[in-house]
Amino acid sequence: MQYLAVAYTRDIPAGRVYPVLVGGRELILVRDGQDNVYALDGLCPHRHLPLAGAEVWKGVLECPWHHFQYDVRTGENLYPRRVYPAQLAARLGDHVRPLRIYPVRTVDEQIQVGMPEAGGTPRFP
Amino acid sequence: MAKVAREMVEKSGVNVDELVAKLVRAASAEFTTYYYYTLLRAHAIGFEGEGLKEIIEDARLEDRNHFEALFPRIYELGGDLPRDIRDFSDMAACADAYLPDNPNDARQLLGVLVEAERCAIRVYTEICDMTFGKDHRTYELALAILNEEIEHEAWFSEFLGEGPSGHFRRGTPGESPYTSRFLVVPNGHN
Ligand code: FES
Repeated sequence: MQYLAVAYTRDIPAGRVYPVLVGGRELILVRDGQDNVYALDGLCPHRHLPLAGAEVWKGVLECPWHHFQYDVRTGENLYPRRVYPAQLAARLGDHVRPLRIYPVRTVDEQIQVGMPEAGGTPRFP
Repeated sequence: MAKVAREMVEKSGVNVDELVAKLVRAASAEFTTYYYYTLLRAHAIGFEGEGLKEIIEDARLEDRNHFEALFPRIYELGGDLPRDIRDFSDMAACADAYLPDNPNDARQLLGVLVEAERCAIRVYTEICDMTFGKDHRTYELALAILNEEIEHEAWFSEFLGEGPSGHFRRGTPGESPYTSRFLVVPNGHN
């Protein structure tokens, strides 16, 4: 795992996402309500559309395209997973996949995102 | 297309293509929700279901009205609807309101309904934010629809025991007190 500096904490707006390109990968940086910063995949698992315009409210990220919601701490799909029928899981499973999360550390106000070394295994949930 | 009408919206700084895309996704959500609410209403049976039936019906018919009120605006702004209904339904701004695993469980049914309304509130708030003070006609339309979606959420949320909504009942099913003035085809609800 190598940590790459991608932004400063002051760059991340409250309630919005901050898109970054890390190692050729589109990611987004977000805050939860308590100043913790998280790095997540920049494409929504639903239709692989960019999350650049997403909003964040109380630790929940909402995709601007079809309003699916994700927990910024875990990447878990919160909506529509909570109302999708389990009986349709085989068909709908792809729609409610979690957002990939990446490890983050802050060093002197600098946000660093952990990326796998070349050939390494990404630490995705 | 209403050429000057679109031009005025463009001049006011609105990205019209983005707005049209949002309106198409909103129209798709209304159209698909109308279909799914038909199933949900049909399955609202028994002691609890019977009580729910009337508000599902109001929301169902009003969602259809929202589609009716939205689509002319899409064409006025130079947009259009997809030729293939499958493409159209895939664009919906909100997740499908599927019949839950156990449709006899009123809480499961209400969970689907209230979440669908919450999504709709987010969609129209976004359109209102985007058009406020700029595209007056779309703003008024989105605001009218937003008013009804907020009421729908309150009804379902009241039924879930989340507190009173202050709602009594519509005069006629699917009355659309806010959106009816945008409907081209008279709905007899004046
Ligand atoms: S692409 Fe994100 S909700 Fe559909």
